[in-house]
Amino acid sequence: MSNYVIFTDSGCDIKPELLKAWGVPFKSLNFRFNDSEKEYSNEDMNSSEFYAKMREGAIAKTSAVNVETFVSAFEEILKNGNDILYIGFSSGLSTTYNSARLAAQQLAEKYPERKIITVDTLAASAGQGLILKLTLDKKNEGATLEEAAAFAEDIKFKISIWFTVDDLVYLKRGGRVSPTAAFFGNMLGIKPVLRMDDEGHLIPYSKVRGRKTSISALADKYGELATNLDSGDIFISHGDCITDAQYLADLLKTRYNANVTLITDVGTVIGAHSGPGTLALFFVGKER
Amino acid sequence: MAKKDKKSSERSTINVKNIKYLGGFLLSKMARGGAKQLRTNAEEVNKLNVFPVPDGDTGDNMRMTIESGIAAIENMDSDDLAEVMKALSHGMLLGARGNSGVILSQFFAGMAKGLESSEKADPVTFGHALELGVQQAYSSVMTPTEGTILTVAREAVEYAVARLTPKSTIRTLFADLVKEMHESLDRTPEILSVLKEAGVVDSGGAGLLYIMDGFNRVLNGEEIADDGVKYELVKQSAPTTFAFDENSEMTYGYCTELLVQLQRSKTDIENFDIDALRSFLVSIGDSVVAFKTESIVKLHVHTFTPEKVIEYCRKYGEFLTVKIENMSVQHTELGENAPDANTAAQKEENIPPAKRYGIVAVSNGPGIENLFLELGVDVIVHGGQTQNPSTNDFLEAFEKISAEHIFVFPNNGNIFMAAQQAGDLYGKAEIHVLPSKNIGTGYVAVSAANYDNPDVDAVIAEMNEAMQRVTAGYVSPSIRDADMNGVHINSGDTIGIINKEIVVSDADKMTATCKLASMLLDLPEKFMLTVFCGEDSAEDEKEKLTQYLGEKYPDAEVYFIDGGQEIYPYIFVAE
Repeated sequence: MSNYVIFTDSGCDIKPELLKAWGVPFKSLNFRFNDSEKEYSNEDMNSSEFYAKMREGAIAKTSAVNVETFVSAFEEILKNGNDILYIGFSSGLSTTYNSARLAAQQLAEKYPERKIITVDTLAASAGQGLILKLTLDKKNEGATLEEAAAFAEDIKFKISIWFTVDDLVYLKRGGRVSPTAAFFGNMLGIKPVLRMDDEGHLIPYSKVRGRKTSISALADKYGELATNLDSGDIFISHGDCITDAQYLADLLKTRYNANVTLITDVGTVIGAHSGPGTLALFFVGKER
Repeated sequence: MAKKDKKSSERSTINVKNIKYLGGFLLSKMARGGAKQLRTNAEEVNKLNVFPVPDGDTGDNMRMTIESGIAAIENMDSDDLAEVMKALSHGMLLGARGNSGVILSQFFAGMAKGLESSEKADPVTFGHALELGVQQAYSSVMTPTEGTILTVAREAVEYAVARLTPKSTIRTLFADLVKEMHESLDRTPEILSVLKEAGVVDSGGAGLLYIMDGFNRVLNGEEIADDGVKYELVKQSAPTTFAFDENSEMTYGYCTELLVQLQRSKTDIENFDIDALRSFLVSIGDSVVAFKTESIVKLHVHTFTPEKVIEYCRKYGEFLTVKIENMSVQHTELGENAPDANTAAQKEENIPPAKRYGIVAVSNGPGIENLFLELGVDVIVHGGQTQNPSTNDFLEAFEKISAEHIFVFPNNGNIFMAAQQAGDLYGKAEIHVLPSKNIGTGYVAVSAANYDNPDVDAVIAEMNEAMQRVTAGYVSPSIRDADMNGVHINSGDTIGIINKEIVVSDADKMTATCKLASMLLDLPEKFMLTVFCGEDSAEDEKEKLTQYLGEKYPDAEVYFIDGGQEIYPYIFVAE
């Protein structure tokens, strides 16, 4: 039985140090601001600096990881006699996954004895991160490449992804969400609650009045959908609003005795579209 | 003037002393007398306000309600009591404003029902009709409160009916009725402690007494001020003579509504200056509403020069729709077509409603109106604390909407019943009147609902839930000295009200305002404060308040809305 490496991209919002500790190599999606040609990756600019620029009105654009980047990164691993399981950022939001898929096809001819399996998580941020983490747990328990891939394909539709944003303007501008009639008009004090569906699209779910109410609505969803209320991994990611992330974690603890296992930044890739004040909750549920 | 007429009035030559039967002619005359009596004294009734706030309007509401009934019988030439009573009560039903007005209209509707087969009525028959009137008045209120117009009507009718004998005449019946009504009214402060505390009697009961006093005076042969002065009929509810012909003068201007598609070739759509448009509209007219959604501008203005609006807008885009209506004609039609409306509606019956939900909201500040429209409200019914819209105003609003369900936000406790009554009368959509008691809760409910949800009960539940989280507070000037809930109030102080209780009073406006805001945010589970700034609120006051709240409640979400409402410089909505 040959060995395999789990590979990902920066869409998963797991910090580089942690990915390193997990033994998971990755490639970064880049971004740039509208006022300059300079490209950055997650590692070049920390998120506080990034969100500060966004608050000042800068518009960030992201660019997917290209095929070549994946080819060379994957090849390094294959050369060492390892197979690859790539856990990728939703194809509904970026062409990164497709680049990885094409890279895998290209390499299949050159390395016929090696295997690359790509999984389109149809998720983003720490949702992709949570799928990655759970798949990694399987690997560590001894799952083969095929078993781990099958697990990832199954679990990805059970990862519930709920989030709220402070201001819908960023999502609208990025074209990443199609606001229905209810989401037009004056949004003063009104906060949207959104979810990610099975196709990896962002769907407005409801709107509520006030930030606290919207955070509470995320906790409500946990209570409604989580498979095990008081055990299992729960991830939270936030766009420069750690106090709110903590508030949500406290709500889950008080209401359901649930422990949040990871609080992480919404990185620049997702943050460029969702903006500062994004707060997202990820957990294993009966369905998405 | 009416008062003077009353004094100089002479006994009628008609002998009414011993009349055994009441007919249509006499009733019609009595009703006019009742309306005149109330009109003369409406201001007195207005002043019977529990709060020392200049917003009493019960007298006006009841006056407009009965005058709408009078308008309906004005050109009638019938001595058939049933016929006159039916027309009178129907007119009142349509013109009903405010809770007291609605109750009054229901009282008459009950009487009309009791007399529907009586060409004329003896005292016993009329007494029975009065009893039915009381019953219907009570049943029109969800939770009847004693010590109000209801009690005054009930006790007086009970007394008068109990004293009926074979010797009774219509005149003795009314004499008993009015006598007891007066006494019952004097007892209202004993029943309702808020009245006692404020040192007033119930205003609705007083209005009813003035009306019945007028009935009684006519019955006693008094000519009440019939000197040819035409009643000032409420334009919206019962206009009869506003036809616009070759001799007419333009008095109302044009109601102008445009949908403008901004054109890239003509303007920078993203940076289109909607405020400049608004200012322009204000400079040439009133009732201005203008807002932009994506690349479309919607505007509404009442103006004498609609051509200027068209010219202005053409500089930036082209029109999707243009509606310009002569408001004199509008007024006429609305008045005359009340009975025809149904026929027209029947013709349209095969056309399915255009959408699932429609929304009607009552509002009286330009800022709030704009906000409501931006939130998706279809029709604004103008009105508020000092100007309660009538049942008919709501019916007209419903007519403008093609939807399966229409949500109505009365935004005032005193408007709820008129809206409800309109809902009962309307047949082309299911009407849901939400119990929004003020503009703040109405705003919260309108903005909280998810109108994509086809389940109407779920949408309503969402609205109610949002409203229940709300505690509203008002800042108002005080118009007299008072002691309430242990708070001493000097005339001219600024007072703060939460849940109908005065919780703070201070000679300094902003001190009282800040204290009230503070009290609201100190309530449990309150994280958010929306501030509706009234027409008289100044920019530096807003800054003061912002600074105060920012320091004391750094975590609270505070939103300012330029509401432009009258009376209250600030309305707070805490959630």
